Amino acid sequence: MSTVKTTTANQLQFANRKERSPWGDAWRALLKNRLAVASGIFIIILIFIAVFAKYIAPYPYDKGNLVDNYALPGPKYLLGADFLGRDILSRTIYGAQVSLAVGFVGAFVSLLIGMTYGLISGYSSTRVDNLMMRFVDFLYAMPILIFVILLQVYFKAVARTGVGGPFLQTLVAIDNKMGGMFFIFIAIGMLNWLGMARIMRGQVLSLKRKEFIEAARSIGASDMRIIFRHLFPNALGPCIVAETLAIPGYISTEAFLSFLGLGVNAPRPSWGIMISEGYVGLRSYPHLLLAPAVALTLTILAFNFLGDGLRDAFDPRLRGQ
Amino acid sequence: MLSKKWALLLAAVIVTSLILAACAPATPQVVEKVVKETVVVEKEKTVAVEKEVVVTPTPKPEEELITLNWNFGTEPPTLDPALAEDTTSVDVIESLFLGLTAFDPEGNVKGELATEWTTNEAGDVYTFKMRQDAKWVKYNPGTKQVEEIGPVTAHDVVYGIKRTLDPRTASGYAYVLYIIKGGEALNTADTEALSEEELQALIDGVGVKAVDDYTVEITLEHPAGYFPGIAGMWVARPMPKDAIEAHGERWIEPGFIVTNGPYMLAEWVHDSHLVLLKNPLYYDAANVQIEKIYGVMVVEASTAMAMYENNELDTTAPPLEDMDRIKADPVLSKELHIGPYPCTYYYGFTTDKPPVDNKLVRRALSAAIDRKSLIENVLKGGQLPANTFTTIGMFGSAAQDPDIAPWALDYTLGLQKAKEWMAEAGYPDGKGFPEIILMHNTSEGHKKIAEAIAAMWKEALGISVKIENQEWKVYLNTISKKTPVEQMPHVWRLGWCADYPDANNWLNEVFHPDKRNDIRWNNREFAEIVEKAEVSQDPAERKALYKRAEQILVDEEAAIAPIYYYTTVNLTKPWLQRNYFGLGGQDFFNWKIDWAAKKAALGK
Amino acid sequence: MAKYIIRRLLWGIPVLFFVTLVVFILVRFLPGGPFDFAGEKQLPPSVVKNLEAKYHLNDPLWKQFVDYLWNVVRGDLGPSFRYRNRTVNDIIAEGLPVSAQLGMLAMLIAIGIGIPLGIIAALRQNTIVDYLATFFAIVGVSIPAIVMGPLLIWIFALKLQWFPVSRWGAQPPYFLGFLPKPDITFWRHAILPAFTLGTGLSASIARLTRASLLQVIREDYIRTARAKGLAERLVIFRHALKNSMIPVVTILGPMFAAVLTGTFVVEQIFAIPGLGKHFVTSIGNRDYPIILGTTLLYGVAIVIANLLVDIVYAWLDPRIRFD
Repeated sequence: MSTVKTTTANQLQFANRKERSPWGDAWRALLKNRLAVASGIFIIILIFIAVFAKYIAPYPYDKGNLVDNYALPGPKYLLGADFLGRDILSRTIYGAQVSLAVGFVGAFVSLLIGMTYGLISGYSSTRVDNLMMRFVDFLYAMPILIFVILLQVYFKAVARTGVGGPFLQTLVAIDNKMGGMFFIFIAIGMLNWLGMARIMRGQVLSLKRKEFIEAARSIGASDMRIIFRHLFPNALGPCIVAETLAIPGYISTEAFLSFLGLGVNAPRPSWGIMISEGYVGLRSYPHLLLAPAVALTLTILAFNFLGDGLRDAFDPRLRGQ
Repeated sequence: MLSKKWALLLAAVIVTSLILAACAPATPQVVEKVVKETVVVEKEKTVAVEKEVVVTPTPKPEEELITLNWNFGTEPPTLDPALAEDTTSVDVIESLFLGLTAFDPEGNVKGELATEWTTNEAGDVYTFKMRQDAKWVKYNPGTKQVEEIGPVTAHDVVYGIKRTLDPRTASGYAYVLYIIKGGEALNTADTEALSEEELQALIDGVGVKAVDDYTVEITLEHPAGYFPGIAGMWVARPMPKDAIEAHGERWIEPGFIVTNGPYMLAEWVHDSHLVLLKNPLYYDAANVQIEKIYGVMVVEASTAMAMYENNELDTTAPPLEDMDRIKADPVLSKELHIGPYPCTYYYGFTTDKPPVDNKLVRRALSAAIDRKSLIENVLKGGQLPANTFTTIGMFGSAAQDPDIAPWALDYTLGLQKAKEWMAEAGYPDGKGFPEIILMHNTSEGHKKIAEAIAAMWKEALGISVKIENQEWKVYLNTISKKTPVEQMPHVWRLGWCADYPDANNWLNEVFHPDKRNDIRWNNREFAEIVEKAEVSQDPAERKALYKRAEQILVDEEAAIAPIYYYTTVNLTKPWLQRNYFGLGGQDFFNWKIDWAAKKAALGK
Repeated sequence: MAKYIIRRLLWGIPVLFFVTLVVFILVRFLPGGPFDFAGEKQLPPSVVKNLEAKYHLNDPLWKQFVDYLWNVVRGDLGPSFRYRNRTVNDIIAEGLPVSAQLGMLAMLIAIGIGIPLGIIAALRQNTIVDYLATFFAIVGVSIPAIVMGPLLIWIFALKLQWFPVSRWGAQPPYFLGFLPKPDITFWRHAILPAFTLGTGLSASIARLTRASLLQVIREDYIRTARAKGLAERLVIFRHALKNSMIPVVTILGPMFAAVLTGTFVVEQIFAIPGLGKHFVTSIGNRDYPIILGTTLLYGVAIVIANLLVDIVYAWLDPRIRFD
């Protein structure tokens, strides 16, 4: 860092280093952060577990033995059994499927829409910016629960009548695979891009008056170049951090919906469902909560450390430190 | 003129209450009697002269009052007897408003305001003689005093019933009173199309009249042996006309509300708590021991449980997740009480949807539910396995009668029968059986039962079951008769609770093909039986008819699979002596608290 | 500036109008009406007709909407369908102060924990201190309130007997309409729920503070300040911190609006008579006036919060102008 005198100089120099792409630089920087690497590996393992749950879990998630209801951890059930005598370890393993899916689908949808929207809004004229932000205000004030119930009602009716053409039916089939949560993920993502858009816009507003942008403009860079070469990489950091923070948010939204009974269809497990099944019996059977809560905490921690690593890696001024 | 009297009165009250507080007698004291002229300028231009009594109800300091700490579980949506539809409201109303009749703790109909009643030969005119010592009172939260408004008369009963039936009141439970002559005609009238006179004629046409100040005569549309039970329901209670007309929708707020029951409403912080104080002018006040009820509105069962363990509640319904801990705990296990509750949990079949349009399939599904195991391992609340729809304690209930669906009570037999029937229906070991949808409304408890039963079916019959849930209102719409059959789930859950303890409220009102009939069932034999039983005056014949109806509904046709009879599961502190019967609200006025023991436990 | 504020507030009116319109239409698409069932019992059509007539639900939809708007303009949010003797105005007037009291305490806790944790983590970036700060911030958010609440009750109310199990310690009348009497009863009841809610929020604040501060520290002017020999502490607190608050403030605005208008889970677990439950239960009850009233209230809170965010932007970063 000491070799770079000013930000402007850094940016210009950075723009000239054609032989090394910024993403490649970020990647190399990321690999130097051990905790971020460990978190990344953890998340990859988790994805692996979710995908191959069928082969890893000792029992099927819906197979229970009523007599073993609320069984304590022991040789038969390593982490105990739930109210129907179903193995908690197996259900936690299967639960990763839904919880990870919520996180990724929600994050993808909201990053995509939110960053684009915020970038355009922040970069546009005040009038357009104002209009676009009022639309965000409008969506902010919409009650999410009404949408969730409506989506559930609508798609379940579609699923049962079999109308709506092959496209809708494909979506419905995906929804079935995900325990009736697919449309809810989409809804969650669609309602969470708002925060992303505001953060992106705030970044852009603040950045676009900076010297290096003005410098770039003065040497005749096009809007597109300014946006993608300068604004985007610089604004990405806070957005990625916010998104890694938002992923736990989606996972907790899933838990909240489960608490209201609007979660995945039984008997499919998710960590949210398992927590909302267990919290009432916290004092009698804490083992019901332990596995899903620990899994949830570790996953969220991993996303955060990975997010930090990414942020540092994407910040060009940090490289080579 | 009035204000001067009031000032005098107040002074007297303050002085007296100071003296009273000093000597602190246990019984409430009548402070002063004043004759007040109340000029009621109505259409008739009558001048009523009322006696007025003002009483300090509680000469003891507040914290010395014998207090019950109770959890209502939720904010009561209303305290207006004409509008109440839910158990929480009814629990409070039961303490505030008296009915002509009431249920005793055993569930029998007894007189409350009515001292006796007679019917005519045909059985369609009931005459109730009323007691003359019941009074309307108003509690003033500002001055903490009780004002006597006047006696409860037959005119108040007439007003109450007509108010409930008036379509402008928009009472949800008004239909319960359709049995009264002219009731349905009034309640279904189109008020916008009618002139004032026409509407008045309909109101006057309702078959309820005050023969004298303390005698009510009620004429019914048809004879009904169960009417005395209905006459005590909240929608038929006497209501305070003056207070209602003076304060409109707000008449049920403390300071406005005029009541006649064993308790008065002293405080109501919405969504938080309400406070009931003993009514010193209640005719049976001497036998009401608990002086104050502090009722909170805690929704979360685990929180209520923690409050109970912390001595912040005297009694609570524990969450089922804590049942094993309670049963194993030396103290809590002694405080546990499980009693019957007049409701039945059942699974309904969409009887016109394949494959459950086949009664063999329905019987197999019903028989393959291991009800005992479900109760022991999942419900844990001492519920009883159900082989009938009508629960225990209802007139005409054939619950646990081995002539009806014995396979529902004995799983060994049930499993064997279920396999036979499935094979007979053409699906041996579930081969060729399509996936069926089992639906429940969103709730943790219903989900648990559905998951358990789906697993039983999968295990016993080799069929696959998809569980779906819907939000409550959506759900109720889905399973109604209006839904096209292809959108219906095959099996769905519901519960039914008694409005009055008679099988007519169950078999006829729920499954008669022309009534609610969510199961889309058109069994004429069943219809004829329940119609006949409704009007029959012979108890033995009615019992036999209802037994036959259950046999058709649950066994031969298996249109529903009754699962269990509800119980009420409660923890009660040793110092509280309470009743658990669930019909018509909580009877706090019958409960007793060992105040010394409670105070000792609280460490005061 | 004043002109800008007025313009923004005027902008709020069409926003709120469209929110009302869309929600008004959407709730009517939800299957099930407010009066078709009482508990599990289906009400006969004749009774439903009376109820619908009483609440003018049989009018044409456009007329209902126009009537509703007119009433809202006059400050009347209508009667509740579920709580038959209460109006939506009553319900908001009773619930909002309680939710706001809880929300303000929770925000204080969230900011009080979040910003210091974020600063510490940023200043000691990639050291064990950073990781620990991250860990504590994350544990707060990754334990859902439905677990945190009962856990705190178990430990602090039942075992240690420090606090009551649940419920709220303040009752109306409130000072200025929403400030409780800060007596011992109030604090004893408020600490557990405010902590449950606050720790859930502090994580986002801490993470964002860390990220933003890290970025600002590397700005030219900070380096200039350092180069001039200003004390590190002064550099951080006088210059860097203020500028790093922009993204934090962005999320604080809506967070504040959401928390002040009530939170369902915490209010339910601690039996707090706030507004949070009405946002959720009104939908289940199809209590249209409460759904619309709470939505509108939330909308107003969001509009104001976002306006405040923009004003704070201008204060934090003088380069952002509103013209």
